[in-house]
Amino acid sequence: MLRFTGFAHLLRTMAALRGDRPALASADAPEGCLSFAQLLRAAEQAAERLRADGGTCLAVVCDGSAACVTEIFGSVLAGMQTVLLDGMLPDETLALLVRASDADRIWCADEELAQALRAAPGTGVTEGAGRILFFTSGTTAQARAVVLTDGSLMASAWNGSMKLPVRPEDTVLCMLPLAHVFGFVCGLLWGLCCGACVALGRGARYYAQDCAFFRPTVLPAVPLLFGFLMKQKLLNPELRLVLIGAGDCPSALLDGARAAGLSVSFGYGLTETSSGVALSTSGDPYAMELCPDDTAEIAPDGEVLLRAPTCMMQGYYKDPAATQAVLQNGVLHTGDLGFLDGAGRLHITGRKKDVLVLADGSKIFCPEYEAKLSAALQTASLAVVLSGGKPALVLEADSADETRVHAALAAFNAQYPRGQQIAAVIPYPKKLPRTATGKLRRWQLQEELNHGTR
Amino acid sequence: MERAEILEQTKKVIYDCLPELDGTELTEASVVNTDMGMDSMNFILVICKLEALFDVKIPNRQWQKLSTLGDVVDAIIKYKK
Repeated sequence: MLRFTGFAHLLRTMAALRGDRPALASADAPEGCLSFAQLLRAAEQAAERLRADGGTCLAVVCDGSAACVTEIFGSVLAGMQTVLLDGMLPDETLALLVRASDADRIWCADEELAQALRAAPGTGVTEGAGRILFFTSGTTAQARAVVLTDGSLMASAWNGSMKLPVRPEDTVLCMLPLAHVFGFVCGLLWGLCCGACVALGRGARYYAQDCAFFRPTVLPAVPLLFGFLMKQKLLNPELRLVLIGAGDCPSALLDGARAAGLSVSFGYGLTETSSGVALSTSGDPYAMELCPDDTAEIAPDGEVLLRAPTCMMQGYYKDPAATQAVLQNGVLHTGDLGFLDGAGRLHITGRKKDVLVLADGSKIFCPEYEAKLSAALQTASLAVVLSGGKPALVLEADSADETRVHAALAAFNAQYPRGQQIAAVIPYPKKLPRTATGKLRRWQLQEELNHGTR
Repeated sequence: MERAEILEQTKKVIYDCLPELDGTELTEASVVNTDMGMDSMNFILVICKLEALFDVKIPNRQWQKLSTLGDVVDAIIKYKK
């Protein structure tokens, strides 16, 4: 397996080795496809144009098109700092992220949105060459940019391909947003670095048709998307390998996929480590082997500590204090809880920050507690937070009948020691804050409640 | 097509896509996420079926702004023009 030092190395090498072979299949590419040679040429032309334009930091509002991919590669080749933004974010949020990343140039295929974003450009940067910024939810109320490089992203793709190789004859369907590191590395780079064709999904409107249209053999997916494709029977018969990441996956779904003859792997990683550091390759999907460059140890409190020297972030953008809080001497404090089994495989059991320490010193593991609450109240639109040192139930407005809630809570509380019983019900007037993959943004919710800003 | 007719056809699509809603009264004020328990993937499925049914294209970036059944009907009417 070839190991690439960056995007330029990837594009030039693959153009030399597999020049006329398809690199990107996309609705917006001429004749639906770009070969590796055409991809290199398009990226170099974009780089030339960007250099001539004189910008220092390009914010790319990702739409998953071939033009978008070309612009990202071109920006890095031009030596600009490159910021990947999720095109589905609200306009105001995008404008904030553009300013926060100092972008002085914007690429956005949506003309109306581009116009709105151009109203507030950033100031530009010095020494941004090679930096690629991904925004992550982080652990504070503000979205935070993680500084990666094309070298760290390529190292991550290599790491993954060493554990789970893609064949040059494969077609990898990329339905995930490129502004998320899992989508960028596993949806795009993983296939390209193996010489496979990457089919760029045509967006949410075509989720139900893309498998039949592109006939992929490999599919990286988040649990929600994979569950939808399975339930609606939308997977194509050529599909052989599914890589699931960015969230927990119900075992029934995995069993169903395997019963359908699919090879299903599960990945674990963080934006801070340029995507995956561990993958399951056979047997137990939750027992993940560490990738070649990565090592893990478990702290006394159960937190997973990672060393990923080739894939580790440079830090959080312009936030050395936040960087220092999680990255010390090359060791990343992940905030995840887990253990290593006898074979050295990593198992993730939950989030450290999903543990509430109560006033009486006892602890609640929120996912388990909330699952029981959901079953009792027959709604998933809830969360548990700390209020005055006691557990409080946050309930989305109109998600459950008040009388039924109180009756169900009485029975629920009876299962727990007094200190761990729900002490208050806090109505929440809107949808609970969640990530794109459906994970609860507990930190955000707790901060909103603490500061009365909901 | 009258608004009431669009609303009725929209409800039928939702009931078809989410059979678990059978017996649940849907109104213009029904909230997509909470009242209908629709996750983001099911929401996409419903919108795509509605677009095909009404021969309309609602821009992707507008999807996230559709909070209630009434919002969905409004969008169909707006973009059908």
